[in-house]
Amino acid sequence: MITLSDIPPRAGAWLTPQIVVFTAILATAPLWLGTIGLYQYLGIEIAIWMIYALGFNLLFGYGGLHSFGHGAYLGIGAYAFGLFQHHVGVSLWGGLLAAVFAAGIAGALVGAAVSHRRGIYFALLTNAYGQVFWFSAIKLHWLTGGEDGLLNIPRPTLDLGFARVDLNDNMALYFFVATALVVSVVLLWRIANSPFGRVLQAVRQNESRTAFVGYDVWWFKWAAFVISTLFAGFAGGLFAMAQESAYPDIMSLHQSGLIVMMVLVGGGLVGFWGPVYGVVLYFVARDVLGTLTETWLLWYGLMFMAVVMFRPEGLAGALHVSARRLPFRAAPRRASVGPA
Amino acid sequence: MSTLLPHIFNGLTLGLLFALIALGFTLIVGVMEVINLAHGSLFALGAYFALTILGGGWIEGTAVGDWWMGVPLGARYVLALAFGPVLAGVAGMALELCVRRTYGKAPLYGLLLTFGAALVIEEAIRVGWGTGEKSLPLPQAINGAVLIGGLIFSWYKLFAAGFALIAIAAVWLFLERTPYGAIIKAGAHDSEMVRALGYDLSRLRSLVFGLGSALAGLAGVVMVPIWGLRPHLGVDVVIPAFLIIALGGVGSFWGAVIAAIMVGLAVGITGAYASAWSMMSMYLLLIAVVSFRSRGLFGRKSALEV
Amino acid sequence: MALIEAQNIHKRFGARVVLEDISLAFEEGQVSGIMGPNGAGKTTCFHVLTGRYKPDRGTIRFDGVDIAGRTPQALARMGISRSFQIMSLFDQSAVIENVMIALPEFRTRRRRLADSVFNDAGLLDAAREILDQVGLAGREWEPSASLPYGDRRALEIGVALAARPRVLFLDEPTSGLGAEATRNLAELIRRLRARYTIVMIEHDMQFLFDLADRISVVHWGQVIAEGTPAALRTNKWVQRSALGERG
Repeated sequence: MITLSDIPPRAGAWLTPQIVVFTAILATAPLWLGTIGLYQYLGIEIAIWMIYALGFNLLFGYGGLHSFGHGAYLGIGAYAFGLFQHHVGVSLWGGLLAAVFAAGIAGALVGAAVSHRRGIYFALLTNAYGQVFWFSAIKLHWLTGGEDGLLNIPRPTLDLGFARVDLNDNMALYFFVATALVVSVVLLWRIANSPFGRVLQAVRQNESRTAFVGYDVWWFKWAAFVISTLFAGFAGGLFAMAQESAYPDIMSLHQSGLIVMMVLVGGGLVGFWGPVYGVVLYFVARDVLGTLTETWLLWYGLMFMAVVMFRPEGLAGALHVSARRLPFRAAPRRASVGPA
Repeated sequence: MSTLLPHIFNGLTLGLLFALIALGFTLIVGVMEVINLAHGSLFALGAYFALTILGGGWIEGTAVGDWWMGVPLGARYVLALAFGPVLAGVAGMALELCVRRTYGKAPLYGLLLTFGAALVIEEAIRVGWGTGEKSLPLPQAINGAVLIGGLIFSWYKLFAAGFALIAIAAVWLFLERTPYGAIIKAGAHDSEMVRALGYDLSRLRSLVFGLGSALAGLAGVVMVPIWGLRPHLGVDVVIPAFLIIALGGVGSFWGAVIAAIMVGLAVGITGAYASAWSMMSMYLLLIAVVSFRSRGLFGRKSALEV
Repeated sequence: MALIEAQNIHKRFGARVVLEDISLAFEEGQVSGIMGPNGAGKTTCFHVLTGRYKPDRGTIRFDGVDIAGRTPQALARMGISRSFQIMSLFDQSAVIENVMIALPEFRTRRRRLADSVFNDAGLLDAAREILDQVGLAGREWEPSASLPYGDRRALEIGVALAARPRVLFLDEPTSGLGAEATRNLAELIRRLRARYTIVMIEHDMQFLFDLADRISVVHWGQVIAEGTPAALRTNKWVQRSALGERG
């Protein structure tokens, strides 16, 4: 079975065939999305959640640190974006920067408070912090609009210098978010395959030994936490733009749990692309199953339990197993470098 | 000080009920080294089962339902109090069957599985009983208020506190004075040895999970008239349960009880000064306690510290 | 002056005093042994010397610098490295990565984003050299979890070596090894003694007496005897224990 510790071919590259294919799928999505019965806005939602999920998996899968309260940073990003538009000025980059910055600060603070832990304590601590943020979002009316949240968040215009793009058009927004997603994928692929990423994986496998060979393990855990919250905040800012609102529910335990489930079911514990599969699966369940039955979340939850019990490698792992049964085999999972 | 008295009383009542929840939780953690994140959902489930037994839920409006409503409320309530937890216990045992698959593996899987179960149970409650707020009808005997020393106390809270006390005593008697209790305590200490001595470990685990869940369900039935009844009820239960055993130590009876009362008092008293934040105080307490590593007052090193 | 010197170390856990005013010194370039019955405090000694525990009292000097209470990672960077009795490897990683992670050259690259370490010929060669030393040449891409026990032991030591220490602490390195693997290990230590100062905890007294220049006998948290193997053979306590039986 594959693990994240395998050495992927092209670990040193900025672009891999998978990334290229993924970009092509994203670029052509508006053409085929309609034919399979889906709609443009869904593409935006899926792309946003992929950014969130991929960033989250750096912490969850690669770092082995199971944060059960990550919705808080998505929410903080969303609120920061909205507040910027309302109180500072209508600006796309200003808003997104505010989102990333705010989530990153929160992430740095919480990260500093939890990085000396792992396992169950880590999970419960991050859950508790998430709940405190969620609760604050509801109670701090004057800042967050309370239970109703921030409404009427505008979608600022994208000013490229040579052209101005009105993001109120869902198609335009989709391409903007999709571009952001591709950039995020490339960045995270580099981070995961950098020395930092390998040491992070060492921390996951054996925190004690990693310290004994000279690494400041706390720093690595903290950095992974912060990076994941930066991506979450960015996704949150995009989310606020897409929904034109920000509300407490995105920070709830329910939502924090959903990202965990998505990433696990997709195979984030064993493969870089796991979160991508997981997000697709979730939204397909929501939008396809959801038309068939109102209790689709119940079935999704049962499926999640089944995956944990029988196939914790998730979809990415299952795909790997099937690929090996095909007549042609995938490239060996090792870097072939230098003279033998 | 006298204005604090009702809050202290509330806190004590809450603490005793928390103790029931925590005892169930610590039994499961102690014997099986599984953090049951679905513990809160089983708490809620107990209350919802009680609702049905009392005549709400699905049987409402049916022929059987109408006949059943003719039975005196007091009798129905006693049955609900007795069987709501039993059904929650059965649900717990069903959950244990699922959790079995994760026994050999890293604790993460048990955590994730029970987390998923919590979601599933909450959704199942929505499907079975609807999303709205409900309430348990209470017999006249335990409803209403009573005047003590010039202050008004809720009769029901007195009943709840007293009942919880009796239940805690019953658990203590079970653990300390019966052979089953001895086996459970031994299992919490050294499960391998228990198996070597010839006891069926899987039946023991099933029993413990059932007992722990039943205790949670019992706490649910008793607490609902104070806390309200809605599908989301279970979410706020796991954190105090974990906090209490983190404070009181895994597998320790008195640790759980004493820590539970402390936490209950903390929540009750913050209710006096900043009522909106009283539930949050549990989360903040958890953060404070767990951030500074502690084995609690009476505890031993456990699977929590992996 | 000894390379590592621990003086009057006192360590207790709760009510239990594990190390009682113990003093040890290890000379540079030598192979030093620590032996004693279970529960004597040998491993706790190791933990204190390598930074896992902070002593309640006492000083530890490494090359004259006070190191008591420093973290394991700080000590590793100063040149103190250890292997573990219960093996502590990176089981999902390949053999070569286990070693690479420990290389100081890798550590200095740890924050760079631009390329994969597996494309770095220099790093790979350095890692292969270590694997060669411990007898794992040619096995670099195998998953470490699939190695047989003896090879995992070798890798365990290899990871400690890769950190390029001045002092190598080995915690019961023969643990679980059969006769032939033990002989190979003895060979390895003979090769290593030229480059490293080695401190070993061992239960296999034959092994220890053959290799060590000096041995300290620890019991009840104190050093009850100390000296060259030849001198210790005449020690009554040592004679009464297994070595006396083995002859």
